[in-house]
Amino acid sequence: MITNLVIFAFIVGLLTGAVVVGAVTWAKELGLKMTWWKWLLSALWYLMMLFLLFAAFTFIGEGEPAAGWKTLGISVVLLVILGAGLARVLKSK
Amino acid sequence: MNKKSEKEEKSCSRREFIKVGGAVSAGLQVGAVAGAGIAAGRDPSTHTGWQHLGDNTQFVDRSKLIRKGPAYEISRETLRPELHESPFGRQRLIMQDMRQYREMIRSFDAGEERQQGMGNREPLPQGETAPETTGGVRPAEAETSFPPMEAFKEPMLSWYRDRPDLYELDRVRVEEIMPKKRQDEKTYGEYYTLINAWSDSWNTSEPIKEPPEESDFKIGGRRKIGEPMPFKSPAHAAKLVKKAAHHFGATMVGITTIEPDWCYNYNLRGSENRGSYEVPKHWKFVIAFGVPHQWEQVNSNPNSGTSSDAYSRSSIAARRLEIFIKSLGYPARRHSPMDGYDLIAVPYLVKAGLGEQGRHGIVVTPETGSNFRAAFVTTSLEMEIDQSIDFGVKEFCEHCQICADICPSGSISKAENNDEMNTRGYRHWEINQTSCYNFWMQSMGGMGCRLCLIACPFSRKSNWVHSLARKLDTHDPTGLVDNGLTMMQKNLFDTPEAHEYLPQPDGRFANFREPPEWLQVKNYLDINVTDPSTGD
Repeated sequence: MITNLVIFAFIVGLLTGAVVVGAVTWAKELGLKMTWWKWLLSALWYLMMLFLLFAAFTFIGEGEPAAGWKTLGISVVLLVILGAGLARVLKSK
Repeated sequence: MNKKSEKEEKSCSRREFIKVGGAVSAGLQVGAVAGAGIAAGRDPSTHTGWQHLGDNTQFVDRSKLIRKGPAYEISRETLRPELHESPFGRQRLIMQDMRQYREMIRSFDAGEERQQGMGNREPLPQGETAPETTGGVRPAEAETSFPPMEAFKEPMLSWYRDRPDLYELDRVRVEEIMPKKRQDEKTYGEYYTLINAWSDSWNTSEPIKEPPEESDFKIGGRRKIGEPMPFKSPAHAAKLVKKAAHHFGATMVGITTIEPDWCYNYNLRGSENRGSYEVPKHWKFVIAFGVPHQWEQVNSNPNSGTSSDAYSRSSIAARRLEIFIKSLGYPARRHSPMDGYDLIAVPYLVKAGLGEQGRHGIVVTPETGSNFRAAFVTTSLEMEIDQSIDFGVKEFCEHCQICADICPSGSISKAENNDEMNTRGYRHWEINQTSCYNFWMQSMGGMGCRLCLIACPFSRKSNWVHSLARKLDTHDPTGLVDNGLTMMQKNLFDTPEAHEYLPQPDGRFANFREPPEWLQVKNYLDINVTDPSTGD
């Protein structure tokens, strides 16, 4: 169990590194003027997405598919709304 | 020029690679998190704990939850519980009295003078006749009908006069529910073959046959206990006993002192005296503990559930702990679901700090919610006692009401609070035990109903999401988490409506969740069964 956790953390860590580097490149490419608080908001949005996904699929895994899909649906709506707001903030000068 | 262009091209393709790599990594991360979520949800080690024997089984630090004030508020003179107050005890008295009532009617019909009243407690006054026999005309249904209230003797007569609603519920159970149940068993019984087999297989009863002054001082019914081993301190004794209880299978353990009010006032096990008794002097301390039900099975209540697994495990743990303490030279007596109790479970669990009493009348613990069964050992071994705890259950229950909404018999109060309630002088949430018992008698499978136990938002699995919710709720003074949890439970988790759990034709013998595949007859047995939910 602990070995699995270590492997999982290692892989997610590698992926996180790639996501961060990719995000910096995307920001430059899109001409976004990023500040520390814009990065913070973006990271929070991303972490929230992962958290809600984790929760939704945990419900599905524990045999509560209805709760899982409802959580997922609500999460998607919430993330799209917050994502649209975040996009506006990121584009602002 | 060419070199510059080449460099730009390389830089561009590297940028593209990083961009695509970042996006793909984000996608993979989403997939990994989803997969991890499913694994976390499925993880059998989160099935509320009976498998764990390590120190972390009691995984909530109760020292931060100590209650200010006593475990229960006393609202009037306190009393010990009597046999007829419990629907189980009353059912026994009713059956005994009904047999005598029928005999009495037969002898009356045969023209014999009635010398004795019904029951074995007080004779009816001379000259008085039971209503069915007035005028010497006996209705055809007298053989199966419930005796009229006036035909009962004390203390049942006074009890029924004070609580005519309970008389009516007892009548309905005997005259209507029990015959209907027998019919349902004939029609649908085989559908529950595996569940009944599984439930029956947990039977590990080993009744106590001698009174406390004998049985509590013997190991294995023969060998007398030795000299008591001195402990370094009561704290050391408590620590060792808790450790042993954990290893014997108890998930949560607490220690408190005996309260005579919370010992039954009848049927002391092993004693010939079936009436009132004085609480034995060597019952000074009570070790209270709980063992959860098997998760996937307890979810299939009320019609495919059973308590037997947790009953059996907690009873065996109690038996082992009793012997452990006796082996150290101290008298001890187990009180467990399989071997019987001489004390009431709920108040001792509360006083020993295992949890709080919820709206559904049973205890809610921080670890497993209400999903557990309790057992106890009483002893003279001096141990450091635990304090009762307060982690907001009372306030939570005041606005949650999920158990009251889902209860098929409407036995759980929907009152705003428990200020007007008291049982034998103690203020706490109370339920209508008789209507609850009446539904037990209607349900199929392992009989009984544990819906309130599993529907409680505190009774979720111990995976990260529910553990986090419980932890936040326990430490939230604002009530926001309470509201959030209740709202989520009501809106996210699909459950049948209360009436659907009832037998046909009012309901469809629904379950909270379907039983595990290995307890479904259709998957293993080559027999034709009628599905009670559809009648096909």
